[in-house]
Amino acid sequence: MPVIGKSVRRPDVLGKVTGGARYAGDLALPGMLHAKLKRCDVAHANIKRIDASKALRHPGVKAVLTHEDVPRVLHFGSPHPRSASLACDQYILDRKVRYWGEAVAAVAAESEEIADEALDLIDVEYEELPAALTVEQAVAPGAPMIHERRDNLVVDPVTVKRGDVEKGFAQADLIVEGTFELGRPTPAYMEPNVCLCRWEEDGRLTAWISTQTPFMVRGILAEVLGVPLSKVRVLVDHMGGGFGAKQDLFQTEFLCALLAKQTRRPVRLEFTRKETFLGGRSRHPGTVWLKQGFRKDGTITARQAKVTFNSGAYASHGPGVTAVGTAALTSLYRCDNLLLEGKCVYTNTPIAGAYRGYGVVQTYYALDIQMDEAAERLGIDPCLLKLKNAVREGDIAPSNHPIVGHGLEDCIRRGMQEVNWNAPKPGKYRGWGMGCEMHGSSAYPGIKEQGNATVRLSEDGSAQLFTGTTGLGTGAHTALAQIVAEELGLEFEDVSVVHGDTDVVPWDIGAFASHTTYMGGRAAQMAAEQVKKQLLEVAAEKLEASAADLEIQSGEVRIKGADKKLSVKKVVSPTRGMPSKQFIASATYTPTKSYSFAAHFVEVQVDGETGQIDILQVVPVHELGKIIHPVAAAGQIEGGIQQGIGHTLTEDYVVDLKTGRSLNAGFVDYKMPLSLDMPPIRTIMLETAPDPGGPFGAKGVGEDPIIAIGPAIANAVYAATGVRLRHYPISPEDVLKGLREKR
Amino acid sequence: MKMALTINGEKRELEVEPYRSLLDVLRNDAGLTGTKKGCDVGDCGACTVIMNGKPVNACLVLGVEADASTVTTIEGLGKDGLHPLQEAFIEHGGAQCGFCTPGMLMMAKALLDEIPKPTEEQVRFAIAGNICRCTGYTKIVEAILHASNR
Amino acid sequence: MKRFEYFEPKTLEEAATLLAGGAQALAGGTDLLVEMRERLREVGCVANLKKIPDLATLSYGKEGLRIGALVTAREVELWPFVEEFFPSLRQAVHELGSIQVRNRATIVGNICRASPSADTIPPLVADGAQVKTTMRVIPLEDFFTGPGKTVLKPGELVTEILVPPPPAGTKKVYIKHGRRKAMELSTVGVAVTRLPNEVHIALGAVAPTVIRVRAAEKISDPEKAAETAAAECKPISNVRASADYRREMVRVLVKRALQMT
Repeated sequence: MPVIGKSVRRPDVLGKVTGGARYAGDLALPGMLHAKLKRCDVAHANIKRIDASKALRHPGVKAVLTHEDVPRVLHFGSPHPRSASLACDQYILDRKVRYWGEAVAAVAAESEEIADEALDLIDVEYEELPAALTVEQAVAPGAPMIHERRDNLVVDPVTVKRGDVEKGFAQADLIVEGTFELGRPTPAYMEPNVCLCRWEEDGRLTAWISTQTPFMVRGILAEVLGVPLSKVRVLVDHMGGGFGAKQDLFQTEFLCALLAKQTRRPVRLEFTRKETFLGGRSRHPGTVWLKQGFRKDGTITARQAKVTFNSGAYASHGPGVTAVGTAALTSLYRCDNLLLEGKCVYTNTPIAGAYRGYGVVQTYYALDIQMDEAAERLGIDPCLLKLKNAVREGDIAPSNHPIVGHGLEDCIRRGMQEVNWNAPKPGKYRGWGMGCEMHGSSAYPGIKEQGNATVRLSEDGSAQLFTGTTGLGTGAHTALAQIVAEELGLEFEDVSVVHGDTDVVPWDIGAFASHTTYMGGRAAQMAAEQVKKQLLEVAAEKLEASAADLEIQSGEVRIKGADKKLSVKKVVSPTRGMPSKQFIASATYTPTKSYSFAAHFVEVQVDGETGQIDILQVVPVHELGKIIHPVAAAGQIEGGIQQGIGHTLTEDYVVDLKTGRSLNAGFVDYKMPLSLDMPPIRTIMLETAPDPGGPFGAKGVGEDPIIAIGPAIANAVYAATGVRLRHYPISPEDVLKGLREKR
Repeated sequence: MKMALTINGEKRELEVEPYRSLLDVLRNDAGLTGTKKGCDVGDCGACTVIMNGKPVNACLVLGVEADASTVTTIEGLGKDGLHPLQEAFIEHGGAQCGFCTPGMLMMAKALLDEIPKPTEEQVRFAIAGNICRCTGYTKIVEAILHASNR
Repeated sequence: MKRFEYFEPKTLEEAATLLAGGAQALAGGTDLLVEMRERLREVGCVANLKKIPDLATLSYGKEGLRIGALVTAREVELWPFVEEFFPSLRQAVHELGSIQVRNRATIVGNICRASPSADTIPPLVADGAQVKTTMRVIPLEDFFTGPGKTVLKPGELVTEILVPPPPAGTKKVYIKHGRRKAMELSTVGVAVTRLPNEVHIALGAVAPTVIRVRAAEKISDPEKAAETAAAECKPISNVRASADYRREMVRVLVKRALQMT
C-alpha cells in the first residue's frame, strides 16, 4: 500500500520542533486575568465559614468565588455519556472537603503573583471530620461517611460469573492463591492542566482547554452552568499529553468560566505542577486477591478474584475502571469457570481516575505473576504455560465478542525466539521475565461509543478530513490522514486534518480507550469510501468508462490496465478555481471492539547488597493488526514502557496516613524514569491478526505496553533473585528483605 | 526594571518585574511562547534555553539576571530552514505531544555544541534533566545521534 | 509565587547590610527560587550577589583549591584540577541535579543550604575543607548545626571554600545512593578520602548534618569499619527511604568505598 505502513512526516511535529505549536497555555487574550485556586489542608471537613473579603480588597484582585457563589449542581466529574454505573458526586465547590488539597475557592487577578498572594487572604474555618485514609478504614463499621453511602462504595460491586468455580477448583491438581497490592502511579503529563475562558458579546462561552474530550466537556459545561449547548464552544489545539487523565473536569473549567463571566474578562487558570498531583487524577490503587486452579498439564480449571480499588475522594472513572479491570480477568488466559468480584471504595485521598490501562494494569499484574508462580510449582516453563492457556481465535473476549486470530500466541512465540528464551542464562542475580497482556480498542460495551468523520475534496484535488478526535500527541491525526489518503488514492501530503473545534468538527466521544486509530480511523475510512464513490461516478462520465473499471493512485484517476487518466483535481474542478459540485461525505462508526496483544520480555540485573534493580533490556512484542505509521506505533510502545517501568519500580504518589497530606506532589520525590534510567528497547510489531472492524485491519496500541511491562519486570526479578514480589512499586528494600528471608 | 538583551540574534529592550522568571519574561514580555513551563522549579527541563552559551532552566533565572545576555530559544534554533536536530526529530519520531521538545532540542543543541559526535551514553547523560513522558527517550536519543552524524 | 523586592548590591558590605536586614541571598537561584515557588519560604526581599566582584574565582595552588562563592557546579565539574586532585568532589558535582541546574547552582550555595543530603558536602568534609566568610574561617565540618541550619550570623556571607591539597597517593571516592540515576536527592551519600596515614569517612543523608564517622575511620578492616559506621549514623525514615534501609546502605557503601580506595 502506498501510504499505510509508511512513517510519513507528521505535520504536527513541525510546530513542535520550531516552537510554533500553540498549546492552550500559550494563548494570551487582551485583558486576560489569571486565576488560582485555594486548596484545603485537611482531609475531611465541613467548611464552617469562608470569608473572601480581605482577598477582594487586595489591589489587583477582580473576583473571588467560594461555594456560596457558584451554582450548586451535582455532576459526574467524568463527562462520559450517562450509563448506569457512573456516580454523580461532584459539585463545582461544595460546603465540604473530602481530601487534603481539594479546592475551596478561586481567585481572578491581574497577575499570577497577585492571585497567589490573595489565596493567603481567604479565611477558612473548618470543622474537621474523622477521615478514612485507607480502604480498610473506609469499609470498617462506623467509618466516616464520605458521600451518601454508609458503606463508602462508589457503586454497587460488579460480579462476573461463568461456569462453576467450585467444580473447577475440585478438578485442580494445584491451587495457587495470593493477594497483590497496587500502588498509586500518576500520569504526570508534561503539560499541566490549563483552561482559558472568554464570554463573547452574544452570550457564547469560548473555552480553550487541554482536554481529551472536548464534546463531552462542552456538554457538561452547558448543563452545569445552565447555558444552551449551542452557546458553548470548546477548542483544543496541541495538547501536552493526557494519558487518559485529561478526560475529566477538574473544578477548574467551571470556575474559570464563572470568573470570566463575573469579571467580563478572559480568565486563564493553569495548574502548577503540584496541582497536577493534588487536583489531577492518578491510577486506582488497590488490592487484587486471586486464586486459580491448575491441572498437572497446566490447564486452568478455575479462577476466582476479588478486586478492590481505592477511588479517592470522588468517583471519576471508578465504576468504569473497576468494571473493566475485573472483566479483563475473564480472559488473557483461558478459563471456563470464573467468579470475579470488583468493588470501588471512597477514601479521603486524592482522586483516582482514568489512566492508560484503566484497571487492567492492576488485574493483569496479579494474573500474570500468578501464572509464573503456578509454572514454577507445576514444573512447566512460564512461557509455555502462558502459551498453553493463551486466549485465541474464537474465544469470547471480555466484550462478549469472539477473538480474531492468534495474536497472543504469535507474540509469545516470536519473543521466545528473539531472546533465545530456552538458552541457559548467565550471571548471578541476573534473569529474564515475561509478561503478557491484551487490551481492547474502544470502551465497548461499557460505553457505546461513536466516531464521526467528514471528508471533503477541495477544488485543487486535495482532501480535508474533519474529525472530532482530539490530538493528545500520539500522531493519531497523521494516521487518520494516511487512512484517508490510502482510501482515496491521494498523496499523503494532499490530505489535511481539521480538528479541535466543537463548532466545526463532527461530534466525537474523545480520544481514549486506544480507539483513535480504530474508531476514528474507521469512520474516516468510511467517509472517504463514500467520497471516492462520488468522485469515481463523475470521473467515469469524463473518462467514458464504468466506475468499476477505475482506480485512483497518487491523485490520478485511471482506467485499470489502460493509459487513459485524469487528475483528481480535474475531476473535482474542470473549470479552474471552482468545484463542479461539493464532493463531501460523513460517516458514523459505532464500533464493538478489537483486541491487541503483547508479550514483553525483560532482562534485569539485581545488586544483591543494595537490592537495586537494573533493567538491562526490554524486548516488547506487540500484535497490532495493521500498522499505519510504524514510528508512531513504536513510539506508543516505548513511551508506555517508560510509564510502566516507573509504576513498577519507582513511582508512587503517597499521602501521610495520619493527616492525608500529600507527601510527594512534585517531580523531586515522584520519581519517573529519566534518560539514564531507560534500558535499550528492541520493539517488535506483528500484523498477524488484523481485525475487520478496524481501518485496513488496524487495532489500537496506546494502552497495551503499559500493561505487559509490569509483570515482566516482577517475573524477571524473581528469575534473578528467587524473591517473589506481589506488589508495585517494587523497592530495593523489598528485594533486600526478600533476599534476607530466603537465607 | 528596564533590561536589554539579545534573544535569537535580535536586540530586545524590555520592561520587566524583577520577580518574574526569564521563562515568564520570554513567554509573556518577549512573546516567545515556544519555551514551555512544565514544573517551574527546575525539575523537568521543559524550559531549557541557552544563555551566554550554556543551557539553563529559564524558570530558575530571574528575567533581570539575563540583562546584557545572549539568549537562544527554540524559535532561534533553525536559522534558514530547519536545524539538523529539528529534521532528525521529525524523521525519527523524537516528538509526540511536543511539550518537552523545545527544552529537549535546546539541550541537545548545547550538547552538540560541546561534543559534536557524542556517544549514546553522552547523549543520555546530557538530557538527564529533561523529562519526556511520551517517547521513553528511545527515539529522542536516536534522533540526536542521527543529527550528530550529519 | 508572591512578589518580592529585588536588590543588586555592588559590594560585600552592601550585601551584608541587606542580609542583616532580612534579605535572602541569591546566587545560583536553584534552591532559593524553588523554595519560594513551593511556598517553603516566605521571602520579601532578594539580594542578587552576582554583581559583587571577586567572588567567582576558581583556583588551585600551593594552598589548595579555592572555590569562590559564585563559582558554579558546572565550572567545578569541568575543571581538570578538580578531576585530578578532588575526584570525589567531582563525582558528587557530576551527579548534582542536571547540566542545566549545574550551570547556575553554586557550590557555596549548596553548602549554605545545608541540606543533610547535599552531594557536595560529604566529599568536602572528608577532604577537610574550610569555609571562609566575611568574618572568619570555619572548618566545614563545624559549619552545620542542623538540617538547613548553619553557624552563619545575620549579615555574614560566605566568600569562598578552601580545600587543602592532597598529599601524593591520596585516594578519594564518593558514592551516591538514590532510586534513579539522575535528578536525585541522595538517600545515602558516602565520601571516603584515604590519606597516607589516615582515612576520613563522611556520610550524607543519615544524620541531621553531614557527619564524619571517626570510630569507623580507626578500623582498618573495611567490613568492620562499615559496620561501625552504620552504627554511628542516625538516619530517619521518610518518603525517600526507611531508616533501616539507609543504615544498611551505609554499611554496604562504606565497605565498597573503603575497598575502592
